[in-house]
Amino acid sequence: MAESTSPVDALLKGSSGRSARGLLRIIILVTIAAAAVSSRLFSVIRFESIIHEFDPWFNFRATKYLIQNGFYDFWDWFDDRTWHPLGRVTGGTLYPGLMVTSGVIYHILRFLTIPVDIRNICVLLAPAFSGLTAFAMYLLTNEMSSSPSAGLLAAAFMAITPGYISRSVAGSYDNEAIAIFLLVFTFFLWIKAVKNGSIMWGALAALFYGYMVSAWGGYVFITNLIPLHVFVLICMGRYSSRVYISYTTWYALGTLASMQIPFVGFLPIRNSDHMSALGIFGLIQLVAFADFVRGFLPGKQFQRLLTASIILTSGLAFVGLIVLTMSGVIAPWSGRFYSLWDTGYAKIHIPIIASVSEHQPTAWPSFFFDLNFLIWLFPAGVYMCFRDLKDEHVFVIIYSVLASYFAGVMVRLMLTLTPIVCVAAALVLSYILDTYLKTSPGPINRGRSSEDPSSEALRSARTPEVGISSYFSKAVTTSATIVYLLLFVAHCTWVTSNAYSSPSVVLASRMPDGSQFIIDDYREAYYWLRQNTPANAKIMSWWDYGYQIGGMADRPTLVDNNTWNNTHIATVGKAMSSREEVSYPILRQHDVDYVLVVFGGLLGYSGDDINKFLWMVRIAEGIWPDQVKERDFFTSRGEYRVDDQATPAMRNSLMYKMSYHNFNKLFPMGQATDRVRGTKLPSESPQLSTLDEAFTSENWIIRIYKVKDLDNLGRDHSNAVAFDHGNKRKKTTKKKGPRVLRSE
Amino acid sequence: MKLFTLFTSLFYLISITLATSSSPNKFEQYQSLSRLAPIQLDDSSYDDLTSKPRDYYAAVILTAMESRFGCVLCREFQPEFDLIARSWNKGSTPDDFKLLFGTLDFNNGKAAFQRLMLQTAPVLLVFPPTIGPYARVDDSPMRFDFSGPISADQVYAWINRHLPDGPKPPLVRPINYMRIVSGVTILMGVVTLFTVLSPYILPIVRNRNLWAAFSLVAILLFTSGHMFNHIRKVPYVAGDGRGGISYFAGGFSNQFGMETQIVAAMYAVLSFSAIGLAMKVPRIADKKSQQVAVVIWGVVLLGTYSFLLSVFRAKNGGYPFFLPPF
Repeated sequence: MAESTSPVDALLKGSSGRSARGLLRIIILVTIAAAAVSSRLFSVIRFESIIHEFDPWFNFRATKYLIQNGFYDFWDWFDDRTWHPLGRVTGGTLYPGLMVTSGVIYHILRFLTIPVDIRNICVLLAPAFSGLTAFAMYLLTNEMSSSPSAGLLAAAFMAITPGYISRSVAGSYDNEAIAIFLLVFTFFLWIKAVKNGSIMWGALAALFYGYMVSAWGGYVFITNLIPLHVFVLICMGRYSSRVYISYTTWYALGTLASMQIPFVGFLPIRNSDHMSALGIFGLIQLVAFADFVRGFLPGKQFQRLLTASIILTSGLAFVGLIVLTMSGVIAPWSGRFYSLWDTGYAKIHIPIIASVSEHQPTAWPSFFFDLNFLIWLFPAGVYMCFRDLKDEHVFVIIYSVLASYFAGVMVRLMLTLTPIVCVAAALVLSYILDTYLKTSPGPINRGRSSEDPSSEALRSARTPEVGISSYFSKAVTTSATIVYLLLFVAHCTWVTSNAYSSPSVVLASRMPDGSQFIIDDYREAYYWLRQNTPANAKIMSWWDYGYQIGGMADRPTLVDNNTWNNTHIATVGKAMSSREEVSYPILRQHDVDYVLVVFGGLLGYSGDDINKFLWMVRIAEGIWPDQVKERDFFTSRGEYRVDDQATPAMRNSLMYKMSYHNFNKLFPMGQATDRVRGTKLPSESPQLSTLDEAFTSENWIIRIYKVKDLDNLGRDHSNAVAFDHGNKRKKTTKKKGPRVLRSE
Repeated sequence: MKLFTLFTSLFYLISITLATSSSPNKFEQYQSLSRLAPIQLDDSSYDDLTSKPRDYYAAVILTAMESRFGCVLCREFQPEFDLIARSWNKGSTPDDFKLLFGTLDFNNGKAAFQRLMLQTAPVLLVFPPTIGPYARVDDSPMRFDFSGPISADQVYAWINRHLPDGPKPPLVRPINYMRIVSGVTILMGVVTLFTVLSPYILPIVRNRNLWAAFSLVAILLFTSGHMFNHIRKVPYVAGDGRGGISYFAGGFSNQFGMETQIVAAMYAVLSFSAIGLAMKVPRIADKKSQQVAVVIWGVVLLGTYSFLLSVFRAKNGGYPFFLPPF
């Protein structure tokens, strides 16, 4: 690499040079891993070691259960404290990889007599794995390029790019925390297998694929990408025994491994998501057969007949798959995956998927925000892959096109795009640096492509390479690249610190004098629940808060973020969006003791329930279209209002009443303002007759109401009639008869 | 089938002659008007159809089909409604259960529209029977308001909810034989064409530059937010309120169609400068022109990146970084 005669180079040449470079490389990788871990610790330093957001709270709770009860109990776990009164077969409906990983780490540390709290393991698991991801990235990129710096650059990009940090800061204890490492590492093993045609690498890829299946639902991406890679290779006429060996090994072992997870079970042979892998498995057998027979067939006619029969057989098999899907033997595409292709599907048919903010399409600023200058190096890197189009470069190209489509459709899938962007950007940037950092001019030996200017090669790579001659050019380009790299580091740090390090359980804002003001209403309210309510009190809230209530307050909930039962969620939506007379029977039938709402009107916290309210209405309307109507919540001019001109349906809904109950008492007469919606509120507080206010947190973000018991008859004359109605209904349920899910 | 038709019409004839009260044979009289499709109504027949007493359900859609009313929804939904009527009339229902489908166009039923004080179309009304086994106490019609494009399945589900329980004919979409045949023909044509032309097509298909261009265009499209435009149906450009055009939408998660094209062009320029620096420049043999090329590519890169950053800063207030020129 270096040809100058400075004394440092004595160390970098010959056999001592190799080991020196190896050592240097290890030091750089360790530094990168350290940077990856430390840039994810903002939230721990600013706030505390706390689990973030929503889903991580469930994972944390499940991990604690695993630690306390052992693996087999965890496997058979039936959770009766969620989805009251249905319960959830948790052991069979989750991806256990994450919990098992932290459980294993916990036990290893215990074995080494290092007492670490399980919470700290969970909080720091994602940063630790991001260090490993950087290393896996180094391995993967090294397979793509002969340049020694490409792998290190890719590792450095992966370590700090916000697209990955967004899902792996300390405390974000979610499946993605370990899944991205597994994704990158599985791809590395797969490339290794294809390159070497070795059963060992194929089996290792299958093993890590199995681990990936146990960790994240996004494994379907691998399940479809690897067959696609093989298919494209076959179409390009690049079939070889290497491809055959690696694919069949991976498919057979990987499918068996994935079927060990109860949640996946027989899906790999019963579901359309996995059919491409099976189809390619069949196709590659045919192609292998043809390849084998071709050697023994002399005549050209025979060969043509063979090709025709292969195409015919695969066509027939394809038709067979379609028929099987039509007849229902193979389940159709799952909703989440299908909505990626038919982008309007979820909004019409599965509002619960469409309602999640991370399932929205991605606007261009998000791409730039998450990837900075990598986003424009990315196409250049893909172009470089066309230069010497080896099997592994085909993989990069397919991955790039597919993942950029997915990332464009769903914000959340930016995560799967990030690794390949880092690979491609590192390919092009390392090429530039290698070219411009060489001190002496002269052609660089870079494989075959620069030597064969055939028509096959890329247009820009036809003439031979001569290198850069002037020092000025080198200095200009190198310094510009360094500026861009420094800007990238600054950008990543700024984005991580500003956008991705908030636990969202604890909020922070600035006081007028610049000091930090911590808003800790969530935990205040959840601990109130934990300490002031019986252990079996059922809490109803919108599903977003289900996991947090289960994790922090340890109380049974009606619905949570698992969202497996749309009807149950719609029931809660109906209770929230109906009049009290309608809601009260629903609350009684579901044994609800407390109702929790999130209200941001005092503080200007925009993620509150009134802003989510339309989704509750929509989801409820999906089940009871004639009882809950979205249109009733809009004024005749099509506005969504909460002030004097709010529609009667809005004003009488339980959600509205709970949110604004007594809110005007905080303000002088007629001055009550909602700081989120920016409107004046009616001067009179809504009257609640079936609920009692039990608790309101410091900044009014969380309000908890207790459901009144039936015995308080005759206290409110205006509602007496309505209560008689509810009373009669209730008497039947009070006698512990069979529980009825809903009244209609 | 024919025999069945003959039989039923005979049955109608007999029942019409035998019937004594006016209402029961009103149903058969209307049903014989149109055996499968919805009945085309006008003011008088609408009044007659919906008058009491009636022993049948009647689902009437009030619509404005003529193009001068500009009711796109009416025209879109009409085939769907025909489909519902067809499926119902073809299917088997319990003997005493009667449901009629009718269409009242604004041209034929201005009086009815005025009486109902309808401002919008289409509107679907379902009239319950007033006599007979399914009679309801509240005989006012149920109304379905259309709030957007909707499929026959959803409307049929809504109608079914208001009908008494019991087996109902499923909604059957007719198989589009034409499409299947044309699809197969086109497929075979393509295969034939490909086989015949393969000596000419194969070099194009195998052309690496073509595939490279295709992949890059796809990646640039997707990473500049094209799918967002497609899903959210954003406007191409918008006015800035002072008579000019604003090319960039305000706000982080908001964009215009043209904006994404500008961004894609910027990404493309940046990518090609990077490719130029990496692959083109080292291949220039002449030293002078190589240096000029480096400077040109470098300046283009810096300028475009700086502009991109300034655009991003405008979209994302509080973003602190920038590069010199812009």
